[in-house]
Parts: sequence; structure tokens; C-alpha cells
Amino acid sequence: MHLDDIRSALFYSKKDIFKNKKIFLFITAAIIFATANIIIINGFMDGMIRDLADNTVESSLGHLNIYPDQEERFIEGLGIKEEELNALKDVEAYSPRVSASGVLSFKELSASANILALDPDKERGVTKLLDKLDSGTAINSNDGNAILVSYRLAEDLKLDTGDEVTLAFENGNMKEYMIKGIIRTGSQEFDSSTVVMALNEARRHLDIENRASSILVKLSDKEIAGDYKPILMQNLGIKNVKTWKEELEYLMSFTEAYKSFSSIISAVGLIAASISVGIIVYVNVIHKKRQIGIMKALGAKDSFIFTVFIMEALLFGLIGVPAGDIVGYLAIKHMEANPFYDAIMMTWISARFGNYLLYNATAVSFAATLLAGIYPAIKASRIDIIKAIWGG
Amino acid sequence: MDIIKTGNLKKSYMLGKVEVKALNGVDVSIQKGEFVAIMGPSGCGKSTFLNMVGMLDIPTSGEIYVEGNDVTGMSSNKRAEYRLRHIGFIFQFFNLFNELTAIENIMFPMMLNRMPNYRKNAQELLNLVGLGDRIHHLPSELSGGQQQRVTIARSLANSPKILLADEPTGNLDTKSSKEIIELFRKLNLERGQTIVMVTHSQEIGEKADRIIHFRDGIIEK
Repeated sequence: MHLDDIRSALFYSKKDIFKNKKIFLFITAAIIFATANIIIINGFMDGMIRDLADNTVESSLGHLNIYPDQEERFIEGLGIKEEELNALKDVEAYSPRVSASGVLSFKELSASANILALDPDKERGVTKLLDKLDSGTAINSNDGNAILVSYRLAEDLKLDTGDEVTLAFENGNMKEYMIKGIIRTGSQEFDSSTVVMALNEARRHLDIENRASSILVKLSDKEIAGDYKPILMQNLGIKNVKTWKEELEYLMSFTEAYKSFSSIISAVGLIAASISVGIIVYVNVIHKKRQIGIMKALGAKDSFIFTVFIMEALLFGLIGVPAGDIVGYLAIKHMEANPFYDAIMMTWISARFGNYLLYNATAVSFAATLLAGIYPAIKASRIDIIKAIWGG
Repeated sequence: MDIIKTGNLKKSYMLGKVEVKALNGVDVSIQKGEFVAIMGPSGCGKSTFLNMVGMLDIPTSGEIYVEGNDVTGMSSNKRAEYRLRHIGFIFQFFNLFNELTAIENIMFPMMLNRMPNYRKNAQELLNLVGLGDRIHHLPSELSGGQQQRVTIARSLANSPKILLADEPTGNLDTKSSKEIIELFRKLNLERGQTIVMVTHSQEIGEKADRIIHFRDGIIEK
């Protein structure tokens, strides 16, 4: 089609859609909010996934996590493995952990507890677990009489910092400890019933010399975890290693389900907006049958008539989509600057802006608007001149 | 020279299961620069004939020649191009574009024809039809006679060889009808414009150079 023809089609389309300013504003507003909705929902979901992943990695995972071989409870030969880890270039830090079970008692109350024994100095090199305190202070490597408890366990046993509790280990050993701090990570599993104690102290009561239940490894860059996993397995002679992404698979699948749901909501909004555009253009076509006939009688080709009405849909998109981009951008930037606290996940969540959000929303909204105009435009181009002018 | 010539022109429609013969073998010759009126009772085939000559509709059989060229078998796009460049239409119900001003209505076919200086030319045509002071008026702000004059100006936009008018005064009062016919006569005399006009009115028809009478889809002898 010649550029002059497109200009002529645009000339008529503009006049036609701006004729009723109220309808134009309503339809444009629908496109603006549908486009902004795509940006906001996707930006929010991406931000939430990132924050939840970061929080989980920060508080309880290494970039690589070493576990005992299948059917084994412990990783044996911890000392040699630590030497190997120290020798690896991209290993920044590591933290061996021992998991055990026990019963924590305070006055007449008692509850089963998961005991997590770790070396606080090494753990600080890998995670921020020991910084996540609701009250009190963290333990150190030589704390022989102090422990940390998770906040839900503290609530169940009505514990506060400074209280004296009795911990019965799984092998029957018992000892009194002082609650040095109450810890809250945001992980339901951890927060429900965990006791954190120094690895040296745990070794005195459990048969864990030169053993660990897991070793958390921090690399120079968490993105190399996938590539570094086989190197670690080969150098340490171990079989059971998981990257942080593999550990977060459950979280990813959960958030992906959320994302799919949000996408459906966005799509419904967009479909509603594009149907509005389609209806307006269609109604224009129906009401203008005679004028379309006159246009054809004057010498307009079918392709010109099609262009006129597709232009009408495009004009709604040309104005509504960029305006929606701006609204979505401002909303996401506001949400990025003002994170909110998720009481369920126990973490701060903020939206995340990326240019891809604008590209995606623009492409999808514009395509939807364009598609909405196709049927009415085809119908208009196929109108019979005689029937249109004389109503035959 | 014949500007329009038809040979055994026929057009049939199906009205339900009944075949209606709107044109039943029409042979007409119209000279260049002629002002012809086509008259006859309702349903005699006047408008159908105009639609055929104006290439709005396709005949069932027969030939149509415009300036010696057989236009009967032209494709839809070719017919649209021919209408745009060579034929001007005037309809009974004005049929202006309501959202366009008087000057924009005239500019529109010029823009379709990719004509330069279309605004200036449209202004000149509005002056020609005596509406130079109404260029920015919407059709709803003009009287019936004024709207029909804008339609005439629009029909002249691309300097057509033939002007086809279907009941151009059918919706106007006597005074406006007279003005429109005087305008037609002026265009015919001053510009040598060929005009083919369908009318019911004997008085209007007598203003033309020649009257062709239709009856039952054929020319009445």
C-alpha cells in the first residue's frame, strides 16, 4: 500500500475515533490499565520470586550444598573434605552442619526440636542465619552453655532470652542451656522447632567427630554453581551435591504456579480491553455501512477500507499502550522503592523493574489491540457497495 | 464522440426465488459534454443503469464502453481506480462524511487520488459551488441544499469525465432544486461536463439536453 494511502486512511480514522471523545477516553483507559496491569503483575511476581530466593539462599543454603550419599546419615572424613575445600579457588567459604533431634523442656512444657549444630565463624562466611535474630545475641564457637531457639519454638514453650532450658539429645544425653537469642528466618520449616548450637558443643554430646550432615559452600559467584558442581564432586569424591537452584525447585514451582495465575488475570484484563476496542470499531463499521459504501463509490479500494478500520484499532493502541507503559513503569518504580513485609514468608518483598517488562507489555497489548481490529476491518472491506448505499 | 455506450445491457437479481430483470437489454449512447436525464417510473431500472455505468455493480450480460474502452470485465480494484479518476457520483441523500468538514469532504477523494495541493483545490471547488464561506462547517451545520452543493463539489474533486447523479434534487425543496440544476447547467456549459442524471421530476428532466425514458428495464421508444 502506498504511503499516501496510509496517510489518507489515518486522516479519516483520526476524525472517526476522536469524534466521540468520551468513548475514546473510556476505551483508551481500558487499554492503559490492561497494559499497566501486565507490567505491575509481572514486575511484582519477578521481584517476589527474587526476594524469596535471595532470602532462602541467604538464610539457609549455600551456593552448593553437600549431603551424605544415599542411605548414609553423615558425610564421613570431614577434615579431609575441609582441606580439599580450602584448596579450591572458587570456594570462598564453607560451613559444615550437623542435624540431630532432641526434646527441649522449660518448666512443665516440652517440645521436640530439630538440633542444628554449626560453627558460627564458618556459618557467617556462608549464610546470614545468625543475623536473623528477633531478640538476644548470636552464639559463638566456644559457647558451651548457650543456644538459640527459633521463634515458634520459643512461643510454644513461652521462652525468652536468658531463660534456662533442658535439652535432651537423641542419644539420651541431657544438659541445661541458656537461651542466648531467638531466631526468625522466614522459613516455616526452620522457624517451627529449631535449636541452634555450636558444633564444638554438639560434638561433646553426639557421636559426630569428623562428620557432618551437610556442608554449605559459598562460591565466588552463585551463578557458577551449576558449572562448579561437577568440579566439586570430582575433587571431594562425593556424589550428593545440590545447587541453590535445585534446592529452590519447590519454591520456583510454587511461584511459577502463582505467576501462571497472575498471567491469566492479566490476560483476562487485556482480552476485555481488546474486546472493547473490537466492539467500538465493529459498531463504527455497522453504523457507517452507508459511508463505507460511499467511500467505495468514490474509488476507495477494499484494502483502503480495511486500513481505515485497522488504523482505528491501532490508534487506540498507539495512545493507550505507551500511556499504560508509563503508568506501569511508575507503579513498579514506586513498589520497588517501597517494599512491603510479607508476614507469611517472613521477608521483605519488592517489585522489580526490567526493560523486558515494557517490551513484553507493549508487544502483547499492541498485538491484542491490533487483533481486535482485524475482524471489523475485514467486515468493512467486504461491504457491498450497492447494499451499503441503497440498503438492498 | 460517445463517452458512454452500452450494448444489450442486462441485469437480473434474485428476489427470494423470483428472478427480477432490472435491465433487459439496454442500448444507450451518450455524447461527451451531453447533459442527459434518465426518467421513468419507480423500479424501471434507472438507478440500476446508473450503477452499471458508474461501475458500482456488474451487469449480468452486455457491454459497457467508456470513451471506447470496454469496462465490463474490469476487476474490483480496477473499477475502484476508474471510479476514483473518471466518475463523480451525486446521491439523493447527500451522503457526506458526517465527521468531516465541508472542505475535508472534498479533500477526501483528492487524497485517495494522491493529488497534490488538495486543500487549495478543495477550497476552489467550494467557491465554485458558492460555499467558500462554509469550509469548516460540518454537514450537520449545513442546510440540505448546501449539503448537496458540497456533494457536487466532492464529485468534481478529481475532475471526472462523467458526473452521475441519482435523484440529486429528490430530497430538496423547490428553491434548492432549482439552484442545483442551475449549477449542473453551469458545469455543463462552462466546463463541458458530461452529466447523467436520474430524476422523477419532469420539470427537472426538461432542463437536460435530452431525456431517456426507461420502462420495465428497457428504453421506451
